[in-house]
Amino acid sequence: MKPVTSMLLALVLSATVWMNQAAQAAESPSGRSVMEQMLRTYYYAGKDVREDVLMRIVNRQGQVRKRHLTMLRLDQADGGEQSYYLYFREPADVEGMSFLVAKHPGRNDDRWLYVPAVDLVKRIATSDKRTSFAGSDFTYEDVSGRDLDEDTHELAGEEAVGEHAAFVVKSTPKRPEGVEFSARKFWIDKATHLPLKMEHYDLQGKLYKVYEAQEIQTIQGTPTITKAVMKDLGNERFTEIALQAVSYDIGLSADVFQERSLRSPPTQWIR
Amino acid sequence: MSSKSEAYAARRHSGSAKAVFLHAITVAAAGLLCFQTPARAANAPEIHGFVEALYGPKLLGDERTQKDEFNVLEQRLQLKAAWQPSRSAPLASWSPKFFYKGDLVVDEYDEALRYQIREAHVSGSPFTWVDVKLGRQILTWGTGDLLFINDLFPKDFVSFFIGRDDEYLKVPSDAAKLSFFSPWASLDLVLIPFFAPDTSITGDRLSFFDSFLGRLAGEESNHLLTEPSFQPKNTEIAGRVSRTVGGYEIAGYAFRGFFKHAMGIKNQDAQELFYPELAVYGASLRGPAPAIGGITYGEVGYFDSLEDRRGKNRLIENASIKYLTGYERDLPKDLRIGVQYDVEQMLGFTQFKASVQPGDVPRDQFRQLLTLRITKLFWLQTLEASFFAFYSPTDDDAHLRPRLAWQINDQWKATAGANVFFGQHDWTEFGQLEDNDDVYGRVRYSF
Repeated sequence: MKPVTSMLLALVLSATVWMNQAAQAAESPSGRSVMEQMLRTYYYAGKDVREDVLMRIVNRQGQVRKRHLTMLRLDQADGGEQSYYLYFREPADVEGMSFLVAKHPGRNDDRWLYVPAVDLVKRIATSDKRTSFAGSDFTYEDVSGRDLDEDTHELAGEEAVGEHAAFVVKSTPKRPEGVEFSARKFWIDKATHLPLKMEHYDLQGKLYKVYEAQEIQTIQGTPTITKAVMKDLGNERFTEIALQAVSYDIGLSADVFQERSLRSPPTQWIR
Repeated sequence: MSSKSEAYAARRHSGSAKAVFLHAITVAAAGLLCFQTPARAANAPEIHGFVEALYGPKLLGDERTQKDEFNVLEQRLQLKAAWQPSRSAPLASWSPKFFYKGDLVVDEYDEALRYQIREAHVSGSPFTWVDVKLGRQILTWGTGDLLFINDLFPKDFVSFFIGRDDEYLKVPSDAAKLSFFSPWASLDLVLIPFFAPDTSITGDRLSFFDSFLGRLAGEESNHLLTEPSFQPKNTEIAGRVSRTVGGYEIAGYAFRGFFKHAMGIKNQDAQELFYPELAVYGASLRGPAPAIGGITYGEVGYFDSLEDRRGKNRLIENASIKYLTGYERDLPKDLRIGVQYDVEQMLGFTQFKASVQPGDVPRDQFRQLLTLRITKLFWLQTLEASFFAFYSPTDDDAHLRPRLAWQINDQWKATAGANVFFGQHDWTEFGQLEDNDDVYGRVRYSF
């Protein structure tokens, strides 16, 4: 082969490769953008929401603990600050307790707990977000979202979950200290951007926790995961979560998310 | 003895006024219930509660008190009911809500059956910017963890020291609470027409230092406590102005009423004590600790002893300033720690020193108190191990409260703990309780 021809061939080849890569980049978004889209869709659905959260925590022996709470959420901006108000209804010993959270992306949340038996508004320190939420297999971060910048997100491919085409994203913590997993893998619905499945891998790289969405309903035009399960494989236990009476954009205002609501629950939303 | 029966008479009188007050609330609730149409039966009051058994044997078998073997042995039934009239009821726009919580206690220490109304109140919002709560209620504010400066609502330290649930540290007040809200600040105003003191240690259940006898005493202690009578001018008023700025809660407090402990001697020979008039002005701040994370707080209160402002009367507690600072944080794996430092500065200390008589309890100008709280959750948050310690370097005394609480399932909870006291002297707050050390166990079924 003549040197000129071979050079030309090499050029054409590399150009093709480059063009292919460019085409691929245009087709498939980055892991980070898929993740960002998911966080906004899943944790920031609607401007505000009122919903009943029911949890069944089932241990190895099959014993069941139940949690029932009503949650109000208001977003200041998509992907930004949020306020949460939680009113516990079950079990009986926590009935009437309420919880207020001002979520600040990038720094510690402000959290208050109200204990009605002693009329006490307690401030809760919140540096560890990996603790269990209300004794369930969900962590605080699972419930309110982990900061996008805490992990590096890599698009690991595409794979269908049931009938839903999904992106697979692998998220690796930037600061491994303080988290009990080495990586998480998400299956994110291409159509709705909701997380259909999530796997936690421990520090040895072993799968130990799996989340699965079990039911998606479209409520006021917003696809919503209304049933899901978090399985703890090592401890052989799981928590089922169900959302009921979900209504979006009900016109919550910032003054609902104040100490006032802890001491006297807003009867308009909490009856 | 005559003054004793008078004091009791006064209490009885005020008791009947309270009964009228509570009945009025019940009648109002019943009246509104009548407006309920049968179709609205779904709106029936929800009833919850628990049954609980508690046993707290004494570790040292103190023979001064009524029972030598135990500090507490009781069974308790608590019922609570909340009810909101339907949205079509009269005054529904006020969002009225009725709440009742009462305890029936078989108390084998006092050998008595007691019925206590813990709460019975109606609350609502007559305007969007006003909340009202009227009736028997538990009231708490301030920042301290088991330390109180501007919270001058009554407390039951006997319950606290013998192992009852933390809930019983708080004594209900028969009061009207008005809360006003604005974008700039919130104002809470509490009016308490019926004086309720702290439940003080009398020697029946816990032995203590009897300043009249000048030694540790039990049953034989015979103080006469005279409470302020039920009169409009004796209505206690407590107020708080608060707002939150950037995650920091700022509050100012004011109180006009009476000492919650009988801090005045009316008649030394008759061993008669009373509750002197008191005004308190204070402030608090609570929020995230910069840089290190966690929550930090500080509170201060100036206690103006209105009947002895300059400290000249040795029979009445002097004015003081109380300071508190605290820090709490969480660590991985459900571990929490909290520390507090509390200082009580007696004002008019020179006058106090000058008027001290032989046999008077020695006091420091600055009494200091440190507390430590450690809480750790195990077994997927179903077992809570906690430890709380009070330690006073100036009084040389301490109080330790270890506790294990196991949430067996959604209904059953078992708690075991201890109350242990140390002290160099018989007359300090915790030192006087040294012979009352106990362990306790509680089993509760909630429904």
